[in-house]
Amino acid sequence: MRALTLTALLSLLGHQALANPAFEGDWFIDIATDGAPLMGVLEVERHGDEWKAWAEGGPAPVTIDGDRIVVDVDSRDIRGFTFIMRLDGIFENGQITGSYTIHADATPLLGPGTWVGAPYDPPARSNESDPFDLSGIWKPGPGVDIRKYSMDLTAAAKEWHAGYVMHYDQPGVRCISPGIVAMVAWGAYPFEVLDTQNRLTFLYEVDSEVRRIHLEERERPEFYPPSGMGFSLGRWEGDALVVETTNMMPNVRDFRGEPVSGNAMMHEVYTLSEDGQRLDGVITLHDPENYERPPIRRRHWVRDPGIEIYPYECDPDSFYRQMYNEGKLDMYFERSKRRM
Amino acid sequence: MTLNRILIVAIAMIAALVARAHHSFAVEFLEDQTDTIEGTVTEVWFKNPHVRYYIQAQTEDGEIVNWDVRGASPTSLIRRGWTPRTIQEGDRITVHGHLGRDGRKLLSIIWIELAGGTKLSEDY
Repeated sequence: MRALTLTALLSLLGHQALANPAFEGDWFIDIATDGAPLMGVLEVERHGDEWKAWAEGGPAPVTIDGDRIVVDVDSRDIRGFTFIMRLDGIFENGQITGSYTIHADATPLLGPGTWVGAPYDPPARSNESDPFDLSGIWKPGPGVDIRKYSMDLTAAAKEWHAGYVMHYDQPGVRCISPGIVAMVAWGAYPFEVLDTQNRLTFLYEVDSEVRRIHLEERERPEFYPPSGMGFSLGRWEGDALVVETTNMMPNVRDFRGEPVSGNAMMHEVYTLSEDGQRLDGVITLHDPENYERPPIRRRHWVRDPGIEIYPYECDPDSFYRQMYNEGKLDMYFERSKRRM
Repeated sequence: MTLNRILIVAIAMIAALVARAHHSFAVEFLEDQTDTIEGTVTEVWFKNPHVRYYIQAQTEDGEIVNWDVRGASPTSLIRRGWTPRTIQEGDRITVHGHLGRDGRKLLSIIWIELAGGTKLSEDY
């Protein structure tokens, strides 16, 4: 209250107002767009006189002036064009409300809109198992994920990422598995879930990947061949399915090339809507070799029993052919060591 | 426009949105520069990760140019009615699309007009 009063007084006198300390903490932001709503967690911290923020685990330059906060979130649209989403909000009555604008060179797919921030506490989960029926075919729904693209890389990851060449270094373009971290957050293709005793089997259309989630109580095997899908153990925490995946092949998070190490662990939480038709997933990547803070992605899917899961035959010939035509084959093979 | 044609356009638009997530359009193509070419399909590559049509076109100066024309992924197109039979080798087609970066003879399909006048759209 004292800070608020002082803030208001300085504002009246035309000074830059003192930052309202109430901004410090974690906020769940809900962004209303001209399309599907987006959401995520915004962490705001004060380090001495300096304020810092992270959106979904990635650094987001922030300015706080009195009761006003401005946060720049680097984001990208589905085509890969990048832009800055500038969130401009006012703290009042325990929450932040405001609008956002889009700043980009290319014409963004997203128009301006509004947002609300509310104090965030991670949901408490019960230890009692209350499973839901996940079996069936799911197709991706739009929105949810803000597609923040730059994360809080370690020094080693920054160095590696600086040498990444988009397209030519991306596994998926030459029909190598993009890896479960990228696939689960992709939201571009349907998948089918088979629910059998102590096991959920995800049959992804993309790359015809098969993923087994073991629900029985067991230890992770001492050795399990690393793969794009990794090794997944799942458990029910109340009515949420929690899955932890390790033994992944080193890969990249998405086509922009931020790395995923072989020692990473992907943590997923799935919840089902009351009518059983919508599945929500929060995907957090724990990979301290590469990230100072875990990157977070969010997706949702809807049931669609009418969809047929097609086989996905992928032929890398067109990728190599393009490089041959462009005289880039040497460049490609000279970079083989970088391909994880 | 017939109902069938409207349907094809609509389903292709949805397909494009879904399938582009594969890899970055922005890395290879220019959003603000488009071109329209008319030519003969010399090869149909209806395979993942993305459909390609190779088109031989002639410039106003008479020069023969081979274009690499890119579409969405086959699975998403097939699901919505665009199959390997929709465009075949030897077909005469007109393609409007985003140009490739660095002067490369690439086009990312916005729409294709078939010889019979049917228009297939992949615009966002």
